[in-house]
Amino acid sequence: MYFYLPVALTSINSFITVGIGLIVGILTGIFGVGGGWLITPLLMMLGITPTVAVATGANQMVASATSGAYAHYKLGNVDFKMGWCLLIGSFFGGFIGAGALKVLTAMGNADFLIKITYVILLGIVGAFMLMDTLFKMRRRHTGHYERGDSKPAGFLKNLPLQIYFEKSAVAHSLFVPIFLGGIVGILAGIMGVGGGFLMIPVMVYMLRMPIHVVIGTSLFIILFTSIEVTFLQAYTNHSVDFILAVLLLLGSTIGTQIGVFFGKRLKGEHLKLFLAFILLAVALQMTLQLIMRPSVLLAIAGNH
Amino acid sequence: MRKIKNQKSKIKIVAFIIFEFLILNSALAGELSAQLTTKVSHDRIKIDFFYHGSEVNVSGVSGHGTDIVIKLTSPEGHQVLRKKAKVAGLLWMNVGELEFDRTSNLYFLHSTQKINDIVSQDEMDRYVIGYPALKKHIEVAQVKDEDEKARWFNEFVKFKELSRLYAISFGQIILNQTDSGQNYSIKLNWPYQAPIGEYLVTVYAVKDKKVVEKAEARMIVEQVGIVKTLANMAKNNGALYGAISIVVALIAGFGVGIIFRKGGGGH
Repeated sequence: MYFYLPVALTSINSFITVGIGLIVGILTGIFGVGGGWLITPLLMMLGITPTVAVATGANQMVASATSGAYAHYKLGNVDFKMGWCLLIGSFFGGFIGAGALKVLTAMGNADFLIKITYVILLGIVGAFMLMDTLFKMRRRHTGHYERGDSKPAGFLKNLPLQIYFEKSAVAHSLFVPIFLGGIVGILAGIMGVGGGFLMIPVMVYMLRMPIHVVIGTSLFIILFTSIEVTFLQAYTNHSVDFILAVLLLLGSTIGTQIGVFFGKRLKGEHLKLFLAFILLAVALQMTLQLIMRPSVLLAIAGNH
Repeated sequence: MRKIKNQKSKIKIVAFIIFEFLILNSALAGELSAQLTTKVSHDRIKIDFFYHGSEVNVSGVSGHGTDIVIKLTSPEGHQVLRKKAKVAGLLWMNVGELEFDRTSNLYFLHSTQKINDIVSQDEMDRYVIGYPALKKHIEVAQVKDEDEKARWFNEFVKFKELSRLYAISFGQIILNQTDSGQNYSIKLNWPYQAPIGEYLVTVYAVKDKKVVEKAEARMIVEQVGIVKTLANMAKNNGALYGAISIVVALIAGFGVGIIFRKGGGGH
Protein backbone atom coordinates (compact mmCIF):
# COMPACT_ATOMS: atom_id res chain seq x y z
CA MET A 1 0.00 0.00 0.00
CA TYR A 2 1.33 3.41 -0.97
CA PHE A 3 1.05 6.59 1.09
CA TYR A 4 1.79 10.11 -0.07
CA LEU A 5 4.18 12.00 2.19
CA PRO A 6 3.18 15.65 2.68
CA VAL A 7 6.66 17.02 3.44
CA ALA A 8 8.87 14.60 1.49
CA LEU A 9 6.48 15.18 -1.46
CA THR A 10 6.72 11.63 -2.68
CA SER A 11 4.73 8.41 -2.50
CA ILE A 12 6.15 5.53 -0.53
CA ASN A 13 5.51 1.81 -0.06
CA SER A 14 4.28 1.48 3.52
CA PHE A 15 5.44 -2.13 3.99
CA ILE A 16 9.02 -1.35 2.96
CA THR A 17 9.07 1.68 5.25
CA VAL A 18 7.76 -0.23 8.27
CA GLY A 19 10.33 -2.93 7.45
CA ILE A 20 13.17 -0.39 7.49
CA GLY A 21 11.90 0.85 10.85
CA LEU A 22 11.86 -2.71 12.19
CA ILE A 23 15.48 -3.43 11.16
CA VAL A 24 16.76 -0.11 12.52
CA GLY A 25 14.76 -0.68 15.72
CA ILE A 26 16.31 -4.12 16.28
CA LEU A 27 19.82 -2.63 15.95
CA THR A 28 18.86 0.25 18.26
CA GLY A 29 17.58 -2.19 20.88
CA ILE A 30 20.65 -4.44 20.74
CA PHE A 31 23.43 -1.88 20.43
CA GLY A 32 21.98 1.40 21.70
CA VAL A 33 22.95 3.29 18.54
CA GLY A 34 20.57 5.76 16.95
CA GLY A 35 20.43 4.22 13.50
CA GLY A 36 20.64 7.47 11.54
CA TRP A 37 23.65 6.03 9.70
CA LEU A 38 21.40 3.28 8.29
CA ILE A 39 18.06 5.01 7.99
CA THR A 40 19.31 8.04 6.05
CA PRO A 41 20.84 6.13 3.11
CA LEU A 42 17.91 3.67 3.01
CA LEU A 43 15.35 6.47 2.85
CA MET A 44 17.41 8.25 0.19
CA MET A 45 17.23 5.06 -1.87
CA LEU A 46 13.44 5.34 -1.66
CA GLY A 47 13.59 8.85 -3.13
CA ILE A 48 13.56 10.91 0.07
CA THR A 49 15.80 13.98 0.08
CA PRO A 50 18.71 13.92 2.59
CA THR A 51 17.31 16.79 4.68
CA VAL A 52 13.93 15.08 5.14
CA ALA A 53 15.62 11.69 5.72
CA VAL A 54 17.82 13.08 8.53
CA ALA A 55 15.01 15.06 10.19
CA THR A 56 12.43 12.29 9.98
CA GLY A 57 15.00 9.71 11.07
CA ALA A 58 15.50 11.78 14.24
CA ASN A 59 11.72 11.86 14.77
CA GLN A 60 11.41 8.08 14.62
CA MET A 61 14.47 7.82 16.85
CA VAL A 62 12.51 9.62 19.58
CA ALA A 63 10.06 6.70 19.50
CA SER A 64 12.61 3.88 19.29
CA ALA A 65 14.86 5.48 21.94
CA THR A 66 11.83 5.84 24.25
CA SER A 67 10.85 2.24 23.60
CA GLY A 68 14.43 1.02 24.09
CA ALA A 69 15.32 3.24 27.07
CA TYR A 70 12.09 2.13 28.80
CA ALA A 71 12.88 -1.54 28.20
CA HIS A 72 16.48 -1.10 29.41
CA TYR A 73 15.25 0.90 32.41
CA LYS A 74 13.07 -2.05 33.38
CA LEU A 75 16.12 -4.29 33.06
CA GLY A 76 18.08 -1.92 35.32
CA ASN A 77 20.43 -0.85 32.53
CA VAL A 78 20.02 2.93 32.56
CA ASP A 79 22.41 5.03 34.64
CA PHE A 80 20.39 8.23 34.89
CA LYS A 81 23.00 10.04 36.98
CA MET A 82 25.70 9.40 34.39
CA GLY A 83 23.24 10.07 31.56
CA TRP A 84 22.37 13.53 32.87
CA CYS A 85 26.05 14.45 33.35
CA LEU A 86 26.88 13.41 29.78
CA LEU A 87 23.80 15.20 28.47
CA ILE A 88 24.73 18.47 30.18
CA GLY A 89 28.21 18.24 28.72
CA SER A 90 27.07 17.35 25.23
CA PHE A 91 24.43 20.10 25.28
CA PHE A 92 27.05 22.81 25.79
CA GLY A 93 29.55 21.00 23.59
CA GLY A 94 26.97 21.04 20.80
CA PHE A 95 26.91 24.85 20.90
CA ILE A 96 30.69 25.06 20.71
CA GLY A 97 30.69 22.51 17.86
CA ALA A 98 28.09 24.44 15.87
CA GLY A 99 30.17 27.62 16.32
CA ALA A 100 33.33 25.79 15.27
CA LEU A 101 31.52 24.48 12.18
CA LYS A 102 30.69 28.06 11.14
CA VAL A 103 34.36 29.03 11.45
CA LEU A 104 35.45 25.95 9.48
CA THR A 105 32.85 26.62 6.77
CA ALA A 106 34.04 30.22 6.47
CA MET A 107 37.59 28.94 6.02
CA GLY A 108 36.41 26.82 3.07
CA ASN A 109 36.58 23.12 2.25
CA ALA A 110 35.02 22.28 5.64
CA ASP A 111 32.94 19.47 4.17
CA PHE A 112 36.06 17.66 3.01
CA LEU A 113 37.89 17.99 6.34
CA ILE A 114 34.85 16.96 8.38
CA LYS A 115 34.07 13.86 6.35
CA ILE A 116 37.68 12.71 6.36
CA THR A 117 37.96 13.27 10.12
CA TYR A 118 34.71 11.41 10.76
CA VAL A 119 35.72 8.40 8.67
CA ILE A 120 39.17 8.23 10.28
CA LEU A 121 37.72 8.63 13.78
CA LEU A 122 35.12 5.91 13.24
CA GLY A 123 37.74 3.63 11.72
CA ILE A 124 40.19 4.12 14.60
CA VAL A 125 37.55 3.69 17.32
CA GLY A 126 36.06 0.64 15.56
CA ALA A 127 39.46 -0.97 15.01
CA PHE A 128 40.52 -0.30 18.60
CA MET A 129 37.28 -1.76 19.94
CA LEU A 130 37.63 -4.81 17.71
CA MET A 131 41.23 -5.51 18.65
CA ASP A 132 40.68 -4.85 22.33
CA THR A 133 37.67 -7.20 22.49
CA LEU A 134 39.42 -9.92 20.50
CA PHE A 135 42.47 -9.60 22.72
CA LYS A 136 40.38 -9.93 25.87
CA MET A 137 38.39 -12.83 24.43
CA ARG A 138 41.59 -14.62 23.63
CA ARG A 139 42.67 -14.21 27.23
CA ARG A 140 39.33 -15.71 28.21
CA HIS A 141 38.40 -12.58 30.07
CA THR A 142 34.69 -13.26 29.83
CA GLY A 143 31.60 -12.43 31.88
CA HIS A 144 28.04 -11.40 31.24
CA TYR A 145 28.50 -8.05 32.95
CA GLU A 146 31.98 -6.82 32.48
CA ARG A 147 32.52 -4.52 35.41
CA GLY A 148 35.02 -1.76 34.92
CA ASP A 149 37.56 -0.53 37.36
CA SER A 150 35.61 1.50 39.89
CA LYS A 151 38.69 3.50 40.87
CA PRO A 152 39.79 6.15 38.40
CA ALA A 153 43.45 6.28 37.73
CA GLY A 154 46.03 9.03 38.21
CA PHE A 155 45.09 12.64 38.53
CA LEU A 156 41.39 11.90 37.83
CA LYS A 157 41.26 10.46 41.34
CA ASN A 158 42.26 13.81 42.81
CA LEU A 159 39.66 15.87 40.97
CA PRO A 160 36.98 17.40 43.19
CA LEU A 161 33.33 16.26 43.44
CA GLN A 162 34.02 12.52 43.27
CA ILE A 163 30.70 10.70 42.85
CA TYR A 164 29.87 7.02 42.88
CA PHE A 165 27.61 5.97 40.03
CA GLU A 166 25.77 2.98 41.50
CA LYS A 167 24.27 1.59 38.28
CA SER A 168 27.61 1.61 36.49
CA ALA A 169 29.53 0.72 39.65
CA VAL A 170 32.17 3.36 38.88
CA ALA A 171 33.37 6.47 40.71
CA HIS A 172 34.33 9.64 38.87
CA SER A 173 34.58 13.32 39.50
CA LEU A 174 31.41 15.04 38.30
CA PHE A 175 33.58 16.99 35.87
CA VAL A 176 34.76 13.86 34.01
CA PRO A 177 31.45 12.81 32.39
CA ILE A 178 30.49 16.45 31.81
CA PHE A 179 33.83 17.12 30.13
CA LEU A 180 33.72 13.92 28.05
CA GLY A 181 30.08 14.63 27.10
CA GLY A 182 31.25 18.09 26.06
CA ILE A 183 33.96 16.65 23.78
CA VAL A 184 31.44 14.29 22.13
CA GLY A 185 29.00 17.23 21.81
CA ILE A 186 31.65 19.38 20.11
CA LEU A 187 32.51 16.61 17.63
CA ALA A 188 28.84 15.81 16.98
CA GLY A 189 28.14 19.53 16.47
CA ILE A 190 30.95 19.86 13.94
CA MET A 191 30.17 16.65 12.08
CA GLY A 192 26.42 17.13 12.10
CA VAL A 193 25.82 13.55 13.21
CA GLY A 194 24.41 12.08 16.38
CA GLY A 195 27.06 11.48 18.99
CA GLY A 196 26.01 7.88 19.75
CA PHE A 197 28.93 6.33 17.95
CA LEU A 198 31.40 8.37 19.92
CA MET A 199 29.48 8.35 23.20
CA ILE A 200 29.46 4.52 23.43
CA PRO A 201 33.27 4.11 23.19
CA VAL A 202 33.69 6.99 25.65
CA MET A 203 31.39 5.27 28.14
CA VAL A 204 33.03 1.87 27.65
CA TYR A 205 36.69 2.86 27.66
CA MET A 206 36.93 6.19 29.45
CA LEU A 207 34.10 5.97 31.97
CA ARG A 208 34.59 2.19 32.26
CA MET A 209 30.88 1.44 32.41
CA PRO A 210 29.54 -2.11 31.86
CA ILE A 211 28.41 -2.58 28.25
CA HIS A 212 24.75 -3.33 29.01
CA VAL A 213 24.47 -0.16 31.11
CA VAL A 214 26.28 1.72 28.33
CA ILE A 215 23.59 0.66 25.84
CA GLY A 216 20.68 1.59 28.10
CA THR A 217 22.25 4.93 29.03
CA SER A 218 23.11 5.63 25.39
CA LEU A 219 19.42 5.23 24.47
CA PHE A 220 18.47 7.59 27.29
CA ILE A 221 20.89 10.20 25.89
CA ILE A 222 19.74 9.61 22.28
CA LEU A 223 16.14 10.20 23.39
CA PHE A 224 16.98 13.77 24.38
CA THR A 225 19.29 14.56 21.48
CA SER A 226 16.75 13.23 18.97
CA ILE A 227 13.97 15.33 20.54
CA GLU A 228 16.21 18.39 20.14
CA VAL A 229 17.08 17.56 16.50
CA THR A 230 13.44 16.81 15.60
CA PHE A 231 12.21 20.10 17.03
CA LEU A 232 14.98 22.19 15.45
CA GLN A 233 14.49 20.51 12.05
CA ALA A 234 10.71 20.96 12.20
CA TYR A 235 11.03 24.58 13.31
CA THR A 236 13.84 25.84 11.11
CA ASN A 237 13.89 23.56 8.05
CA HIS A 238 10.27 22.28 8.00
CA SER A 239 11.75 18.95 7.01
CA VAL A 240 10.12 16.45 9.39
CA ASP A 241 7.61 14.25 7.57
CA PHE A 242 5.03 13.15 10.09
CA ILE A 243 3.53 10.34 8.00
CA LEU A 244 6.96 8.90 7.18
CA ALA A 245 7.95 9.09 10.86
CA VAL A 246 4.77 7.26 11.91
CA LEU A 247 5.40 4.48 9.36
CA LEU A 248 9.00 4.13 10.54
CA LEU A 249 8.16 4.15 14.22
CA LEU A 250 5.51 1.48 13.73
CA GLY A 251 8.39 -0.82 12.88
CA SER A 252 11.14 0.67 15.02
CA THR A 253 9.33 0.69 18.38
CA ILE A 254 8.55 -3.01 18.04
CA GLY A 255 12.00 -3.72 16.55
CA THR A 256 13.65 -2.05 19.53
CA GLN A 257 11.83 -4.35 21.96
CA ILE A 258 12.94 -7.35 19.90
CA GLY A 259 16.48 -5.94 19.94
CA VAL A 260 16.48 -5.51 23.72
CA PHE A 261 15.19 -9.08 24.07
CA PHE A 262 18.10 -10.45 22.04
CA GLY A 263 20.61 -7.98 23.42
CA LYS A 264 20.20 -9.10 27.00
CA ARG A 265 21.03 -12.64 25.89
CA LEU A 266 24.32 -11.56 24.34
CA LYS A 267 27.54 -11.52 26.31
CA GLY A 268 29.18 -8.15 26.91
CA GLU A 269 32.18 -8.92 24.76
CA HIS A 270 30.02 -10.15 21.89
CA LEU A 271 28.10 -6.91 22.01
CA LYS A 272 31.37 -4.97 21.89
CA LEU A 273 32.53 -7.11 19.00
CA PHE A 274 29.35 -6.46 16.99
CA LEU A 275 29.52 -2.77 17.84
CA ALA A 276 33.08 -2.63 16.57
CA PHE A 277 31.95 -4.27 13.32
CA ILE A 278 29.13 -1.74 12.96
CA LEU A 279 31.54 1.17 13.47
CA LEU A 280 33.90 -0.29 10.87
CA ALA A 281 31.02 -0.99 8.47
CA VAL A 282 29.81 2.61 8.72
CA ALA A 283 33.35 3.88 8.18
CA LEU A 284 33.66 1.60 5.13
CA GLN A 285 30.26 2.66 3.77
CA MET A 286 31.23 6.33 4.08
CA THR A 287 34.61 5.70 2.44
CA LEU A 288 32.97 3.92 -0.52
CA GLN A 289 30.44 6.73 -0.81
CA LEU A 290 33.31 9.19 -1.06
CA ILE A 291 35.43 7.17 -3.47
CA MET A 292 32.85 5.84 -5.92
CA ARG A 293 31.64 8.12 -8.70
CA PRO A 294 28.00 9.10 -8.06
CA SER A 295 25.56 8.15 -10.81
CA VAL A 296 24.45 11.79 -11.05
CA LEU A 297 26.70 14.73 -10.30
CA LEU A 298 23.86 17.03 -9.26
CA ALA A 299 21.74 16.97 -6.13
CA ILE A 300 19.04 19.05 -4.54
CA ALA A 301 20.61 22.08 -2.91
CA GLY A 302 20.01 23.34 0.58
CA ASN A 303 16.82 22.62 2.37
CA HIS A 304 13.96 20.77 0.95
CA MET B 1 -19.69 71.62 -53.19
CA ARG B 2 -22.65 69.33 -52.33
CA LYS B 3 -21.57 66.90 -55.10
CA ILE B 4 -18.10 66.63 -53.61
CA LYS B 5 -19.61 65.88 -50.18
CA ASN B 6 -21.79 63.07 -51.62
CA GLN B 7 -18.81 61.61 -53.40
CA LYS B 8 -16.82 61.56 -50.15
CA SER B 9 -19.57 59.79 -48.24
CA LYS B 10 -19.89 57.22 -51.07
CA ILE B 11 -16.16 56.54 -50.84
CA LYS B 12 -16.49 56.12 -47.07
CA ILE B 13 -19.31 53.58 -47.47
CA VAL B 14 -17.38 51.59 -50.09
CA ALA B 15 -14.27 51.62 -47.91
CA PHE B 16 -16.30 50.44 -44.93
CA ILE B 17 -17.85 47.59 -46.94
CA ILE B 18 -14.39 46.50 -48.22
CA PHE B 19 -12.98 46.69 -44.67
CA GLU B 20 -15.86 44.62 -43.24
CA PHE B 21 -15.48 42.06 -46.04
CA LEU B 22 -11.77 41.70 -45.36
CA ILE B 23 -12.30 41.21 -41.62
CA LEU B 24 -15.07 38.67 -42.18
CA ASN B 25 -13.05 36.89 -44.79
CA SER B 26 -9.92 36.67 -42.67
CA ALA B 27 -11.93 35.47 -39.65
CA LEU B 28 -13.52 32.78 -41.76
CA ALA B 29 -10.16 31.83 -43.22
CA GLY B 30 -8.75 31.60 -39.68
CA GLU B 31 -11.57 29.37 -38.60
CA LEU B 32 -10.99 27.08 -41.48
CA SER B 33 -7.25 26.75 -40.93
CA ALA B 34 -7.47 26.44 -37.10
CA GLN B 35 -8.18 22.71 -37.05
CA LEU B 36 -5.95 21.85 -34.11
CA THR B 37 -7.71 21.37 -30.81
CA THR B 38 -6.55 19.88 -27.52
CA LYS B 39 -8.16 18.59 -24.39
CA VAL B 40 -6.71 17.18 -21.17
CA SER B 41 -8.92 14.54 -19.60
CA HIS B 42 -7.69 14.86 -16.07
CA ASP B 43 -6.86 18.54 -15.77
CA ARG B 44 -7.15 18.78 -11.98
CA ILE B 45 -5.04 16.18 -10.19
CA LYS B 46 -5.69 15.91 -6.49
CA ILE B 47 -2.94 14.67 -4.21
CA ASP B 48 -4.54 12.85 -1.30
CA PHE B 49 -3.23 10.41 1.29
CA PHE B 50 -3.22 7.42 -1.09
CA TYR B 51 -1.91 9.30 -4.15
CA HIS B 52 0.63 7.36 -6.20
CA GLY B 53 0.65 9.33 -9.42
CA SER B 54 -2.15 9.61 -11.92
CA GLU B 55 -3.09 9.07 -15.54
CA VAL B 56 -3.50 11.93 -17.97
CA ASN B 57 -5.06 11.71 -21.42
CA VAL B 58 -4.25 14.38 -23.96
CA SER B 59 -6.42 14.26 -27.07
CA GLY B 60 -7.77 16.44 -29.85
CA VAL B 61 -8.20 16.93 -33.57
CA SER B 62 -5.66 18.01 -36.17
CA GLY B 63 -5.55 18.48 -39.91
CA HIS B 64 -4.86 15.69 -42.41
CA GLY B 65 -1.21 14.84 -42.97
CA THR B 66 0.16 16.59 -39.92
CA ASP B 67 2.40 15.12 -37.26
CA ILE B 68 1.75 15.87 -33.63
CA VAL B 69 4.17 17.00 -30.92
CA ILE B 70 2.89 17.23 -27.35
CA LYS B 71 4.89 19.16 -24.75
CA LEU B 72 4.04 19.28 -21.04
CA THR B 73 5.90 21.83 -18.96
CA SER B 74 5.78 23.58 -15.62
CA PRO B 75 6.35 27.35 -15.54
CA GLU B 76 9.97 28.34 -16.15
CA GLY B 77 12.00 29.44 -13.19
CA HIS B 78 15.29 29.40 -11.36
CA GLN B 79 16.70 26.16 -9.93
CA VAL B 80 19.74 25.77 -7.71
CA LEU B 81 21.46 22.40 -7.54
CA ARG B 82 24.54 21.13 -5.73
CA LYS B 83 27.32 19.93 -7.93
CA LYS B 84 29.65 17.11 -7.05
CA ALA B 85 33.23 16.79 -8.15
CA LYS B 86 36.43 15.04 -7.16
CA VAL B 87 38.36 16.69 -4.35
CA ALA B 88 42.06 16.03 -3.94
CA GLY B 89 41.82 13.72 -6.94
CA LEU B 90 40.18 11.00 -4.88
CA LEU B 91 36.95 11.84 -3.09
CA TRP B 92 33.59 12.80 -4.58
CA MET B 93 32.06 15.66 -2.66
CA ASN B 94 29.74 18.63 -3.00
CA VAL B 95 31.84 21.44 -4.37
CA GLY B 96 29.37 24.27 -4.71
CA GLU B 97 26.14 25.14 -6.44
CA LEU B 98 24.96 25.56 -10.00
CA GLU B 99 22.13 27.90 -10.96
CA PHE B 100 19.88 26.95 -13.85
CA ASP B 101 17.71 29.73 -15.23
CA ARG B 102 14.75 29.61 -17.61
CA THR B 103 14.16 25.97 -16.72
CA SER B 104 11.00 23.99 -16.19
CA ASN B 105 10.84 21.63 -13.25
CA LEU B 106 8.94 19.21 -15.49
CA TYR B 107 9.43 18.67 -19.22
CA PHE B 108 7.70 15.89 -21.15
CA LEU B 109 7.87 15.64 -24.92
CA HIS B 110 5.93 13.13 -27.00
CA SER B 111 5.73 13.02 -30.79
CA THR B 112 4.16 10.83 -33.44
CA GLN B 113 7.56 10.15 -35.01
CA LYS B 114 11.18 10.72 -34.07
CA ILE B 115 11.35 14.44 -33.40
CA ASN B 116 14.36 15.13 -35.66
CA ASP B 117 12.53 13.52 -38.58
CA ILE B 118 9.45 15.73 -38.37
CA VAL B 119 10.68 19.14 -37.10
CA SER B 120 13.63 21.20 -38.33
CA GLN B 121 16.26 22.33 -35.84
CA ASP B 122 15.27 25.98 -36.32
CA GLU B 123 11.67 25.24 -35.44
CA MET B 124 12.72 23.12 -32.47
CA ASP B 125 14.86 26.01 -31.20
CA ARG B 126 12.03 28.48 -31.75
CA TYR B 127 9.47 26.46 -29.78
CA VAL B 128 11.95 24.87 -27.33
CA ILE B 129 11.22 21.34 -28.54
CA GLY B 130 13.71 18.63 -27.54
CA TYR B 131 16.81 18.56 -25.36
CA PRO B 132 19.21 20.33 -27.80
CA ALA B 133 16.78 23.25 -28.01
CA LEU B 134 16.31 23.18 -24.26
CA LYS B 135 20.08 23.33 -23.81
CA LYS B 136 20.24 26.51 -25.88
CA HIS B 137 17.27 27.97 -24.03
CA ILE B 138 18.45 27.27 -20.47
CA GLU B 139 20.97 29.58 -18.85
CA VAL B 140 23.56 28.09 -16.54
CA ALA B 141 25.41 30.49 -14.30
CA GLN B 142 28.99 29.81 -13.19
CA VAL B 143 30.07 27.97 -16.34
CA LYS B 144 33.09 29.03 -18.34
CA ASP B 145 32.16 27.92 -21.85
CA GLU B 146 29.67 26.00 -23.97
CA ASP B 147 31.42 22.69 -23.33
CA GLU B 148 31.03 23.06 -19.60
CA LYS B 149 27.42 24.15 -20.07
CA ALA B 150 26.75 21.06 -22.21
CA ARG B 151 28.33 18.80 -19.62
CA TRP B 152 26.24 20.18 -16.76
CA PHE B 153 23.11 20.29 -18.91
CA ASN B 154 23.51 16.54 -19.55
CA GLU B 155 23.84 15.96 -15.82
CA PHE B 156 20.79 18.15 -15.27
CA VAL B 157 18.70 16.05 -17.69
CA LYS B 158 20.01 12.84 -16.11
CA PHE B 159 19.06 14.14 -12.66
CA LYS B 160 15.58 15.14 -13.86
CA GLU B 161 15.01 11.88 -15.74
CA LEU B 162 15.93 9.90 -12.60
CA SER B 163 13.37 11.97 -10.70
CA ARG B 164 10.89 11.12 -13.51
CA LEU B 165 10.36 14.81 -14.20
CA TYR B 166 11.90 14.87 -17.69
CA ALA B 167 11.03 12.41 -20.44
CA ILE B 168 11.08 12.25 -24.23
CA SER B 169 9.36 9.59 -26.30
CA PHE B 170 7.93 9.05 -29.78
CA GLY B 171 5.44 6.69 -31.35
CA GLN B 172 3.06 6.58 -28.40
CA ILE B 173 0.55 9.04 -29.82
CA ILE B 174 -2.40 7.24 -31.43
CA LEU B 175 -3.73 8.76 -34.66
CA ASN B 176 -7.17 7.98 -36.14
CA GLN B 177 -8.05 9.35 -39.56
CA THR B 178 -11.51 10.91 -40.02
CA ASP B 179 -13.24 12.61 -42.97
CA SER B 180 -12.46 16.09 -41.69
CA GLY B 181 -8.95 15.44 -40.31
CA GLN B 182 -7.43 13.16 -37.71
CA ASN B 183 -7.96 12.46 -34.02
CA TYR B 184 -4.89 12.11 -31.84
CA SER B 185 -4.60 10.87 -28.26
CA ILE B 186 -1.97 9.80 -25.77
CA LYS B 187 -2.26 8.23 -22.34
CA LEU B 188 0.44 9.48 -19.97
CA ASN B 189 1.51 8.21 -16.58
CA TRP B 190 1.67 11.29 -14.42
CA PRO B 191 4.53 10.81 -11.91
CA TYR B 192 3.87 11.28 -8.20
CA GLN B 193 7.17 13.16 -8.09
CA ALA B 194 5.62 16.10 -9.98
CA PRO B 195 4.95 18.78 -7.37
CA ILE B 196 1.82 20.88 -6.98
CA GLY B 197 1.31 23.74 -9.43
CA GLU B 198 0.00 24.63 -12.84
CA TYR B 199 1.24 22.76 -15.91
CA LEU B 200 0.97 23.76 -19.54
CA VAL B 201 0.13 21.28 -22.28
CA THR B 202 1.21 22.56 -25.70
CA VAL B 203 0.33 20.64 -28.84
CA TYR B 204 2.06 21.43 -32.13
CA ALA B 205 0.79 20.28 -35.51
CA VAL B 206 3.80 19.96 -37.82
CA LYS B 207 4.06 19.58 -41.57
CA ASP B 208 7.08 19.72 -43.84
CA LYS B 209 9.30 20.07 -40.74
CA LYS B 210 7.49 23.27 -39.75
CA VAL B 211 5.05 24.03 -36.96
CA VAL B 212 1.79 24.93 -38.70
CA GLU B 213 -0.47 25.18 -35.69
CA LYS B 214 -0.33 25.32 -31.93
CA ALA B 215 -2.96 24.66 -29.26
CA GLU B 216 -2.70 24.88 -25.48
CA ALA B 217 -4.45 23.54 -22.42
CA ARG B 218 -3.70 23.81 -18.72
CA MET B 219 -3.78 21.37 -15.86
CA ILE B 220 -3.46 21.81 -12.13
CA VAL B 221 -1.93 19.55 -9.48
CA GLU B 222 -3.06 20.33 -5.95
CA GLN B 223 -2.95 18.86 -2.48
CA VAL B 224 -6.17 18.04 -0.66
CA GLY B 225 -7.29 16.68 2.71
CA ILE B 226 -4.80 15.49 5.32
CA VAL B 227 -1.83 15.91 2.95
CA LYS B 228 -2.66 19.60 2.50
CA THR B 229 -3.30 20.11 6.24
CA LEU B 230 0.00 18.52 7.28
CA ALA B 231 2.02 20.24 4.54
CA ASN B 232 0.60 23.63 5.54
CA MET B 233 1.18 22.98 9.20
CA ALA B 234 4.79 21.89 8.65
CA LYS B 235 5.40 25.04 6.65
CA ASN B 236 3.48 27.64 8.61
CA ASN B 237 3.50 26.31 12.15
CA GLY B 238 6.78 24.44 12.50
CA ALA B 239 6.96 24.67 16.31
CA LEU B 240 3.54 23.09 16.88
CA TYR B 241 4.14 20.54 14.12
CA GLY B 242 7.49 19.60 15.68
CA ALA B 243 5.96 19.35 19.15
CA ILE B 244 3.14 17.10 17.91
CA SER B 245 5.64 14.88 16.05
CA ILE B 246 7.71 14.49 19.23
CA VAL B 247 4.71 13.82 21.50
CA VAL B 248 3.32 11.18 19.11
CA ALA B 249 6.74 9.49 18.97
CA LEU B 250 7.05 9.55 22.78
CA ILE B 251 3.58 8.07 23.25
CA ALA B 252 4.24 5.39 20.61
CA GLY B 253 7.57 4.49 22.24
CA PHE B 254 6.11 4.24 25.73
CA GLY B 255 2.98 2.51 24.47
CA VAL B 256 4.89 -0.25 22.72
CA GLY B 257 7.26 -0.53 25.69
CA ILE B 258 4.35 -1.05 28.09
CA ILE B 259 2.55 -3.49 25.76
CA PHE B 260 5.70 -5.60 25.38
CA ARG B 261 6.32 -5.59 29.10
CA LYS B 262 2.77 -6.72 29.77
CA GLY B 263 3.13 -9.26 27.01
CA GLY B 264 6.17 -10.73 28.74
CA GLY B 265 8.87 -9.08 26.60
CA GLY B 266 10.73 -7.75 29.64
CA HIS B 267 11.88 -9.34 32.85
